[in-house]
Amino acid sequence: MQPIVDWLLLGSFYAAVALGFSLVWGIMNIINLAHGVFIITGAYIAYQVATNLHLSPFLALFFSMGMLFALGWIIQYGIINRVIRGPLLVTFLLTFGLELLLTDTLQNLFTSDNRFINSTIEGAGINLGSAHISLVRFISAAIAIVLTAALAAFLSRTRLGNAILATGMDRDAARLMGIDIRQIYALTFAISAALAGAAGALLGQMQAFYPTRGELFTLRSFAIVVLGGLGTPWAVVAGGMVFAFIETFLPVVLPRVGVGYENAVAFAVFVIVLLVRPTGLFGKAFYSQ
Amino acid sequence: MSAGVTGSTSTTESDLLLYVAHLDVGYGDTQVLWDVGMEVRRGEVVAMVGANGAGKSTLLTALSGLLPAWGGQVTFEGQDIARARAEHIAALGLIHVPQGRRLFAGLTVEDNLRLGAYTRRAGTERGIHEDLDRVYALFPKLRERRKQVAGLMSGGEQQMCAIGRGLMGRPALLLIDELSLGLAPIVVDDILAALDTIQKREQLSVLLVEQDVQIALERAHRGYVIENGRIVIQGSANELLHSPAVRAAYLGE
Ligand SMILES: Nc1ncnc2c1ncn2[C@@H]1O[C@H](COP(=O)(O)OP(=O)(O)OP(=O)(O)O)[C@@H](O)[C@H]1O
Ligand SMILES: [Mg+2]
Repeated sequence: MQPIVDWLLLGSFYAAVALGFSLVWGIMNIINLAHGVFIITGAYIAYQVATNLHLSPFLALFFSMGMLFALGWIIQYGIINRVIRGPLLVTFLLTFGLELLLTDTLQNLFTSDNRFINSTIEGAGINLGSAHISLVRFISAAIAIVLTAALAAFLSRTRLGNAILATGMDRDAARLMGIDIRQIYALTFAISAALAGAAGALLGQMQAFYPTRGELFTLRSFAIVVLGGLGTPWAVVAGGMVFAFIETFLPVVLPRVGVGYENAVAFAVFVIVLLVRPTGLFGKAFYSQ
Repeated sequence: MSAGVTGSTSTTESDLLLYVAHLDVGYGDTQVLWDVGMEVRRGEVVAMVGANGAGKSTLLTALSGLLPAWGGQVTFEGQDIARARAEHIAALGLIHVPQGRRLFAGLTVEDNLRLGAYTRRAGTERGIHEDLDRVYALFPKLRERRKQVAGLMSGGEQQMCAIGRGLMGRPALLLIDELSLGLAPIVVDDILAALDTIQKREQLSVLLVEQDVQIALERAHRGYVIENGRIVIQGSANELLHSPAVRAAYLGE
């Protein structure tokens, strides 16, 4: 029972981790290597706000989202838009540089000490039969699902969301509709960063973090998105569940092999999925609904 | 419809919707269009015909701003748009229905049509609704398919959707690239009839680009023949249809 609960909660959290990564990849064809450090930046912002303003970390999440939104907008509008028509390698190198820059900045500001956001509801939870559900993890998972649903609804139901999807499907045709794709790209990148900020605020309450921790989450986002497939926000939840499944159950099934090898096995599954089904498990040809 | 006006002497300034002079355009460092001059007047249907690779699509792409002009003059509704961005030009009412339709394949028909009205600001839902009804009245098939994903429709339905999407932008001038390409003649006739209705009713100007010379010249008031990136013949549609040079080169005579 406990592993199933752990799995579902972790899988949902992973959806929040990779949601923004998937959006930018699907719409802009950019593999954002700075995604992980965006998440960590969000964790530090939530940490500062929660500690200094004595706010609940779940309220601090909104500060993380807002500040990352602004940061994402500035980075896209000011920097990446200038090379967006360049080859994939250019944006790849650019986001790699960004990752280094932001990680160093965090290191200078906050040192490389471990941090943890102490939640007021730390330790609280409910017992369900033999399983214990931590309240922090439960709320985090719920927020992750709400963010996924909100993104899906925004993309498919609103004029602006449709413009984002259209730009992802055919950039020149979108311009012929009068859509300013520079604005759309900036908005897309900003939304992606804001989602990373939310993931960071959740992360900080569940695990210790430090500036270079972001790399792991970039890698995981990549695996999650490929597992689930590009195409819809809900595919990210599916990918997150698959990844979390391996992480949760491997130590249960193979106690000796499992410990420490979760990532290796998850990536092995990931390579197999890629070979068998290049669009991912639940991917569509287009980023839509 | 074939009562073409050849000379421009009777044209007043305000009749002139689109005016192009000495336009040079290319890709990278390869020049494709050379010293192109042409015009479209209000309410006029103009045909641009030519062989594969002559530069027809390149011309439309330059007019709608997707491709920057190297030099020359492009004026629309009296405004210089030679260096304007595509999204700005679309908002002015110069709407380009591109070759290959270029629908947003993963979105529904109605979402595609609504995106055609993107430049209209919020609070205009009523107007957009009326325009949707207009397009659906023109192409009843689209109403039946409004919830269907655009990429899964037949070629003819996709072309209707592409033109409908163009009309949603309330064009003053509609540039249509290869309307007939890959479609059955009966479908082409249907679409052209619908276009004819709305063109007459709303005094719409249309620049019809076609490889199928007969189709284009039968519907147009005037026409241009483009060869290797240069305009080589121009005149009333009637003249062109009966010109030995055109008939020999494009109508297989
Ligand atoms: N994106 C591009 N990059 C480089 N050259 C191009 C590009 N698009 C077209 N060309 C070249 O420009 C010339 C004109 O092409 P264009 O597509 O305008 O012709 P067209 O008259 O529309 O032909 P078709 O009837 O096949 O549509 C051709 O020689 C073509 O090879
Ligand atoms: Mg063409």
